[in-house]
Amino acid sequence: MPDFNVRSDSVNVELIMEQIRERIREKRGVDYTEQQIRDLAAVKLEKFLDPTGVRSDLLDQFRKALPAYEPPELPNYAFEDATLFESHRAPVRWLRKLLAPFLKLLFNPNPLIQALHIQSRLNTMSAEREARREAARRGMDQLYYELIHNLVIETTRLGIDNKNLKMRLESVSSRLEFNERRARALESVVVYKTAEPEERPVQRAPAQTPHRSAPQPSYPSQTQSAPARSAPPQAPPPPPPAPVAAMPAPTQAQEPDAAGQAVPAEGPGQRSRRRRRRRGRRGGGPAAAIMGTPETTPEASTLTDPTEQMDAMDRMDDDGSPESEEAHDVAVERVEQAAEAQAESADPVLDSSTAAPIDIPPSPPDDVPGASSAVTEHAPPAVTEQAPNAVAEQAPDAVTEHAPDAVTEQAPDAVAEHAAPAATEQVPSAVPEQVPPAAADGHGTTGAEQAARDPDQQ
Amino acid sequence: MKVAIVVQRYGPGINGGAELHARYIAERLARHGDVEVLTTCASDYVTWKNEFPPGVETVNGIAVRRFRVKHERDPLVFAKRSERVFLQRHSLGDELDWLDAEGPTSPAMVDYIAKHVADYDYCLFFSYRYYHAYYGARAAGSRAILVPTAERDATIGLSIFQPLFRSVRAVMYNSPEEQAMIHAVSGNQRVPGVVVGIGSDVPNSPQAARFRQKYKIRGPFAVYVGRVDQNKGCNELFEFFQGYLKDPAGKLSLILIGTSLLPVPEHPRIRHLGFLNDADKFDAMAAADLLIMPSYYESLSMVALEAWALGRPVLANGKCDVLKGQCIRSNAGLYYETLGEFVGTLEAIEQNRWLSGTLGRNGRQFFRDQYDWPVIERKYLDMFDRLKKEPPVAAGDPLPGWFDRRRQDLPAAQDVLAKLPKGPAGRRS
Repeated sequence: MPDFNVRSDSVNVELIMEQIRERIREKRGVDYTEQQIRDLAAVKLEKFLDPTGVRSDLLDQFRKALPAYEPPELPNYAFEDATLFESHRAPVRWLRKLLAPFLKLLFNPNPLIQALHIQSRLNTMSAEREARREAARRGMDQLYYELIHNLVIETTRLGIDNKNLKMRLESVSSRLEFNERRARALESVVVYKTAEPEERPVQRAPAQTPHRSAPQPSYPSQTQSAPARSAPPQAPPPPPPAPVAAMPAPTQAQEPDAAGQAVPAEGPGQRSRRRRRRRGRRGGGPAAAIMGTPETTPEASTLTDPTEQMDAMDRMDDDGSPESEEAHDVAVERVEQAAEAQAESADPVLDSSTAAPIDIPPSPPDDVPGASSAVTEHAPPAVTEQAPNAVAEQAPDAVTEHAPDAVTEQAPDAVAEHAAPAATEQVPSAVPEQVPPAAADGHGTTGAEQAARDPDQQ
Repeated sequence: MKVAIVVQRYGPGINGGAELHARYIAERLARHGDVEVLTTCASDYVTWKNEFPPGVETVNGIAVRRFRVKHERDPLVFAKRSERVFLQRHSLGDELDWLDAEGPTSPAMVDYIAKHVADYDYCLFFSYRYYHAYYGARAAGSRAILVPTAERDATIGLSIFQPLFRSVRAVMYNSPEEQAMIHAVSGNQRVPGVVVGIGSDVPNSPQAARFRQKYKIRGPFAVYVGRVDQNKGCNELFEFFQGYLKDPAGKLSLILIGTSLLPVPEHPRIRHLGFLNDADKFDAMAAADLLIMPSYYESLSMVALEAWALGRPVLANGKCDVLKGQCIRSNAGLYYETLGEFVGTLEAIEQNRWLSGTLGRNGRQFFRDQYDWPVIERKYLDMFDRLKKEPPVAAGDPLPGWFDRRRQDLPAAQDVLAKLPKGPAGRRS
């Protein structure tokens, strides 16, 4: 692309304009002059018509429906030299012929005869011309019909393409939005990490000490969680795998540990409810809770990242391929399981208050003065220390709602429903550190037991 | 030497092109002789309503004699008669009726000129298209000098003005394009004429920074100065500039200065500042990267000359022969006719500092050589001297008679205009 050759004071404006026009021509590729545009506009329409491209029998139908053209019988007359004197009666005809010279003496009938004769010919010519015009018009009508038909087809095709493109755009924009939320969640995780180092060693210290040792009075909640984590000797054998665990995906081979036991008997109604809840969480919940954090509980961490599962599901939804209902349901369940496991592990208020009485060993150590009283006395301060104020406000309600008896009977979904709003929305980062002693799943498997099965989390 | 300046409106607050031109010339010629202004009591060029009192007053040291307008303009009648003479075959009577409808109809001023023409050495009539010029020049006879300020519009095709161009003593043109157009339409080559134009009182040191600070303008910008009106090509300017804004490489904003008769597009890079005083206007032009002149019809763009005087390049509408010709002759501006050219030229000026600076320098030199006030004054004085030495070329044609005025044999003015040569002077087609 030529640049402007302006390196001196001697500027030639016309030359510069030529260079600018040259650049415009290069950009545009082709530059039509006015004359060329007029020529293009003057090209006859027939050259653009392609009747063979009409892909239906509408044209034939149109031709059939069109009545055949028959020129109308226009009234006319014949007028020759002798027409004025003709008669079907021979004497009268003879008399007229005899008196014709006398008649011509009185006036000249020749101009009248000529005029009427010419008019007769004109009438004939006019009728013929009208017939030709009508035929030409009908031919043009067919051409117009073909043109309009082709235009309709092309417009329809363009409309479909447009709709497809809109759907694709919507799909891409939803994926973009999701990725942005994901990015924000990751950013919030980074912030959390920087704020955490002060608390982490303090919280983990009790977990590494045997539960028989005296609990740290300044961290009463850890005294509650420590025994649960150190429970492997009493841990029951792993439950049988849930039906969902039969999925071939490698990540799901570990699901029974986390949430597979909570799923075994669920009907289509539950599935649809979960789907609705999932949509709700996708729409509004904090991304950190959805995404999980590096500090998540063993259940959550052993599961595949739920966002990836959602991502996979979105991909199935978005790429426009025919969606397999079964695959969709499996993906939904995977997401639900991950979310539930995360919610269970992410609700310090619920877990610290409701599950503690269940998981306290029947013979607590002597130095632990009553687990239930410890829970009621110490759980709220632990929450207030490690969670935002909002959590502290909601903690009492959660505790009273989920009385120990009720918790044992409560379905996992119900737990998740109650837990998720409190934990996932308001304690996105502090939750994972509070590994609850009991996950309150349907089989009575505690979170501590599950954690004990995963040595990496200890 | 006593000179009469005859113009349709006059006053310090009247900023129309021809009116301002007349005032500048009157004030400059007053340094070389006795100048009196003859004008109407009107200040509105649409209605010609009498707003000033009739009689003599002094404006900036110049005696101004005002005459009443007989009747105001009826827009409906004027539009009807305009359609008749511009688009249809018509008669001389139709054209005279059109002139009467256009106004400002002031027979009192014409009578005064006829009676007192001997008191003046020369009568300078501004704007050929109005009542006062047509009838006043006839009344002044051989003392009439016409400053036509003609634009390439249909009015130039009316037949009543052709004798006017041929019968005045001299014609002071604004541009070679205007001169060529009047020569072509009236065949008045024998009438003494000179391309003069007009100067401008441009401040020596405009304060660009002050303008930016006052109006909180940052970054490079192009400026438009004038009435924001469809007739000035502002619609096309808005359309083209919005096209330019789509190019992410372009950084220029558009600053509009002047009264707006159009809705200005709402865009962060298009700002309308309204009417500004001269100081702010010159500061704005000094702060701008370039001036845009989108008008289709100009006999001489004073704003373009002022931009050149300040060393700023001009981007003009190439469909206006005068502006295009000035850009070519001065080598101080570019021109556009299409959106592509508008964007291309704007980017060229914006991105090539060499080009921008060189165009500005050429413009400043062009202004000094052609339109500085001493040059303008000299041309007028030389013309007066020449006319003293030369006898009048021809007497004015008499007014058409009763039958001549009613003969429907004149072509539509648009048809006459279409046959006139186009393009900048020197390369007309």
